[in-house]
Amino acid sequence: MADGNKPVKELIKREYEHGFVTEIEADTFEPGLNEDVIRRLSAIKNEPEFMLEWRLKAYRKWLEMTEPEWAHVHFPKIDYNSISYYSAPKSKADAPKSLDEVDPELLRTYEKLGIPLHERAKLAGVAVDAVFDSVSVTTTFKEQLTEAGVIFCPISEAVHKHPELIKKYLGTVVPTGDNYFAALNSAVFSDGSFVYIPEGVRCPLELSTYFRINAANTGQFERTLIIADKGSYVSYLEGCTAPMRDENQLHAAVVELVALDDAQIKYSTVQNWYPGDENGKGGIYNFVTKRGACIGRNSKISWTQVETGSAITWKYPSCVLRGENSVGEFYSVALTNNMQQADTGTKMIHLGKNTRSTIISKGISAGRSNNSYRGLVRFGPNAKGARNFTQCDSLLIGDQCGAHTFPYIESKNPSAIVEHEATTSKVSDEQLFLCRQRGIDPEQAVSMIVNGFCKEVFKELPMEFAVEATKLLEVSLEGSVG
Amino acid sequence: MTALATLAPEFASVPDSTLPGPLQRYRDNAAKAIAGMAMPTRRTENWKYSSRHLQLDTALAAPLAATGTISTDIGDAYRIVIRNGVIAADESRLPAIDGIEIVRFADLDEVNAQKIVEQLDGALDTAALQFAPLNSARLQDGLLVRLASNARLDKPLFVLCQTLAEHSGSAHPRILVDAGSHSELTLVEQHESQGDAPALVNAVTELNLAAGAQVTYVRLSLDGTTVNHIGATGVRLAANARFDSHCVGFGGPLRRHDLQIRLQEAGAECRLNGVTVTLGEQHYDNHTVIEHVAPHCNSEETYRCIAAGKSHAIFNGRILIHRDAQKSVAEMSNKNLLLSSEAEIDTKPELEIYADDVKCAHGATIGQLDAESLFYLVSRGIGRTEAGTLLSMAFINELVQQIPVESVKDAIEQRLIDFIETTFQEV
Amino acid sequence: MLSIKNLHAAIEGKEILKGIDLEVKPGEVHAIMGPNGSGKSTLSQVLAGNDSYEVTGGEVILDGKNLLEMETEERAREGVFLAFQYPVEIPGVSNLQFLKTALNSIRKHHGQNEINAVEFMKLAREKARQVNLDESFLKRGVNEGFSGGEKKRNEIMQMLLMEPKLAILDETDSGLDIDALKTVADGVNALRSPDRSVIMVTHYQRLLSYIVPDYVHVLAGGRIIKSGGRELALELEAKGYGWLGINETATAG
Repeated sequence: MADGNKPVKELIKREYEHGFVTEIEADTFEPGLNEDVIRRLSAIKNEPEFMLEWRLKAYRKWLEMTEPEWAHVHFPKIDYNSISYYSAPKSKADAPKSLDEVDPELLRTYEKLGIPLHERAKLAGVAVDAVFDSVSVTTTFKEQLTEAGVIFCPISEAVHKHPELIKKYLGTVVPTGDNYFAALNSAVFSDGSFVYIPEGVRCPLELSTYFRINAANTGQFERTLIIADKGSYVSYLEGCTAPMRDENQLHAAVVELVALDDAQIKYSTVQNWYPGDENGKGGIYNFVTKRGACIGRNSKISWTQVETGSAITWKYPSCVLRGENSVGEFYSVALTNNMQQADTGTKMIHLGKNTRSTIISKGISAGRSNNSYRGLVRFGPNAKGARNFTQCDSLLIGDQCGAHTFPYIESKNPSAIVEHEATTSKVSDEQLFLCRQRGIDPEQAVSMIVNGFCKEVFKELPMEFAVEATKLLEVSLEGSVG
Repeated sequence: MTALATLAPEFASVPDSTLPGPLQRYRDNAAKAIAGMAMPTRRTENWKYSSRHLQLDTALAAPLAATGTISTDIGDAYRIVIRNGVIAADESRLPAIDGIEIVRFADLDEVNAQKIVEQLDGALDTAALQFAPLNSARLQDGLLVRLASNARLDKPLFVLCQTLAEHSGSAHPRILVDAGSHSELTLVEQHESQGDAPALVNAVTELNLAAGAQVTYVRLSLDGTTVNHIGATGVRLAANARFDSHCVGFGGPLRRHDLQIRLQEAGAECRLNGVTVTLGEQHYDNHTVIEHVAPHCNSEETYRCIAAGKSHAIFNGRILIHRDAQKSVAEMSNKNLLLSSEAEIDTKPELEIYADDVKCAHGATIGQLDAESLFYLVSRGIGRTEAGTLLSMAFINELVQQIPVESVKDAIEQRLIDFIETTFQEV
Repeated sequence: MLSIKNLHAAIEGKEILKGIDLEVKPGEVHAIMGPNGSGKSTLSQVLAGNDSYEVTGGEVILDGKNLLEMETEERAREGVFLAFQYPVEIPGVSNLQFLKTALNSIRKHHGQNEINAVEFMKLAREKARQVNLDESFLKRGVNEGFSGGEKKRNEIMQMLLMEPKLAILDETDSGLDIDALKTVADGVNALRSPDRSVIMVTHYQRLLSYIVPDYVHVLAGGRIIKSGGRELALELEAKGYGWLGINETATAG
């Protein structure tokens, strides 16, 4: 009879399905980084002087900084001069004004990804901004959003059309010198999405950005800024994919969220960058800084992430809870398989009175991967009555992987209460046997158990993406049970 | 960027002693190794919260001269006194039991000294103990406790580490325990001091437990308010050995204890209890590491801390499960009571797991006294000081009551009550 | 229906079953009794295909097919149902989702269409009612936080839903109060039909008062040492196992 461990041992062999390359004419910078490259980048984007200054300042800071080494990940030193810092599909002199002007090859790319940009065939009720390598190619539903007063456009466009908002908020949540990768991003970011929800407006659509790295040897450095003015609400989702390539590619994004009084931002991510092959060759280095500032009273920022891709993930979506009664949430599912490494978690910085935060983190490790939760919960001296609840659970599939938990908890306020719990478990042979005895395939059983493990997080995702996330887990786990 | 601070060269000066040759050479090598040692900074992960309290002025480099004594009642037990790092042999009260050796390093012959040198540092992960090499470099004397197979010490052995701080200086007590298979030992390592001059105690204790050995270890950090204390305890357990520890610490200008456990063979078990209280401007930093190296090992850890005044308490507990350590069971709980708005508590319960068939859980909380309970007591006529003390004691008493040495348990309980009472009187 | 011949099985190298012979015809109910450690549970686990046990000899034929060559899930789809003695909890996976997946796996195997959600809900509710299990249990995680009795009723509910050809009840009566015992028995009796068979593994006679067996076998030391009609169970109840020369403290899995 079969070896008792066999079911939970393999589970890992489905091809990455977004791994195709799009043949498209592109303008791509020669690899290398210096002030001239930044000037050229800024010039191509026709940026105002203040942006160039801002970039150069960030670049000079970056030069003085060193790559962080504290994360539980290992990779060869990155040669920042072998990376190209700009690649854009060749198009007419100006950006396309309507979908008819978008290169049909690009449209086909997005259709292959399951993100039709034609408004006729759009995702129901979701406005999409598609970012291809370094530039935003199109944004859908512009009219409907404009009517509501919502600004949803490429950040390169916002620099021109809404410089006052950019000046006021860009870099206020993640300062240019915040960390090594954020400084690099500030210097060279090429595009990304900008969202402004005016006072009292509930954004009529889910907003969504799909990021796609296509060109080889190119880094992607997008920058997203979302501002929810008083009493407004927005739900935003990002998805990411990349072709299969043998070399590693760098993705160093920055996301800044600002919530004013009574505003709410729900930010969801389904991250499925190419994870590399089963021997750890290739894949994206996903070194991302995401932070939200609840500066207003009663404001709320909620991060939900489903991370299944990337060779290495280094990502800590955080909340700075400054406003009284503000709320921060972090719901995360991080799955690593094969040789993937993830070091991800959150920071909840409680500064204001009665601020509350919840952290639910579910880590799943399979193959020879390593999956770490790293978190910080800090109560400042003024965080009277603040509360945090943290639950981080790890699930191991197979005996060659690792699951780690590194939570930092700091309290300077006696009336603040923090509760932290963590558990580690595996998909047990008994559970598998029960499922199989009821006629269920081992693969299906594991996927069902893993989905059950992640349920608390999936219920936070917008409906259609919850379905996508569930599927994604299934695909990522396929082959890990034999 | 400013140059990193280094340990003052005076600390590497070799003390007077009459150690046998191999131990002298061991000490001299350590002294060379620490020369120019960089001091930990805020960026040194395991000194993140405590590096600024590390003010090792050159005055602390001087050896402490031993004069006088501290009279401590230990009840019906064996005793050995290490005063300012040197064993006061004439104050010992030692057992005469076959198979039990309690000797000073200074009294070892060359052959035995060589054996000890080969054992020293073996139970320590020195990469995580910046100051253990300093202890080796300043070795003046050391205590060897060796139990043969099946030997059993019938009463607790108290090792009184006394620091007489009439003038500034440092002491570096060293203890090595070698517990043979199925031997049994209760060891109380008690740190106490006298005098008001700033002093540094840098203590290192190693315990090696052979198969089936059972050791109970009580560590009391009772040094006075001018003593900086850095201490490390390293424990290695062979198959089915069991180690129970009870570490009780009162705050000081700098208090640091590293407890490193390595469950090296199947069936080894440990249970670690810890209680820490700090007040005023005091500081206490507990770092524990439990490494599950072999399968079927169990560990259980419970630490409770209370911080009042402007004090600062830190707990960093790490559980590391190696790839082959299947069927490990590890549980860690750290609960903290923050009694004042100027105090700070930081906790970091870490899990690092490389085996899949394990049961691991940790929990950590930080909170304050339950207002409802407090009100209930006060409404029954109990004064606020007493009510606060009662509830605070309730928070830690469960652990205090588990201390298996009756005299220690009672004395510590009273001492904790007195200590905590002052915090409520301050408010 | 089921034919077991000279079945030997071991766990971690220790032989527990030392030559079991058993014929179960369609429609029959067989009770397998025996002291603790006689190998009763091992027999149930081996029939269901638990990989922890190693079959070291003999054969098991179910309706002409070699059961021992089938994977656990294939056996289930062929109609073998094991009501577990200690049902495991699967946190986060709802009973409904679990049952629907299982039922559809079996239907697919038999070339039937998947059952739709509405129809399934109706069916599940009905079966839950049949074993006095509140509907809310359907939405809870599989066995998550269930009491012992609830777990057992949940097992019977699953059995009713899946309508197996061969139901194996492993100590289903243990830990049940008299009302729960009756509920469980009613469930099993409702399933009895000329084309279904039941094997009941039990230590005590009391379940047999409610589910009347056609045959009773006594298992000891890994072998069936005595077989008879229902009166054998009553005799065992009255006299204990001792009169058969069985050492009650025998140990095995």
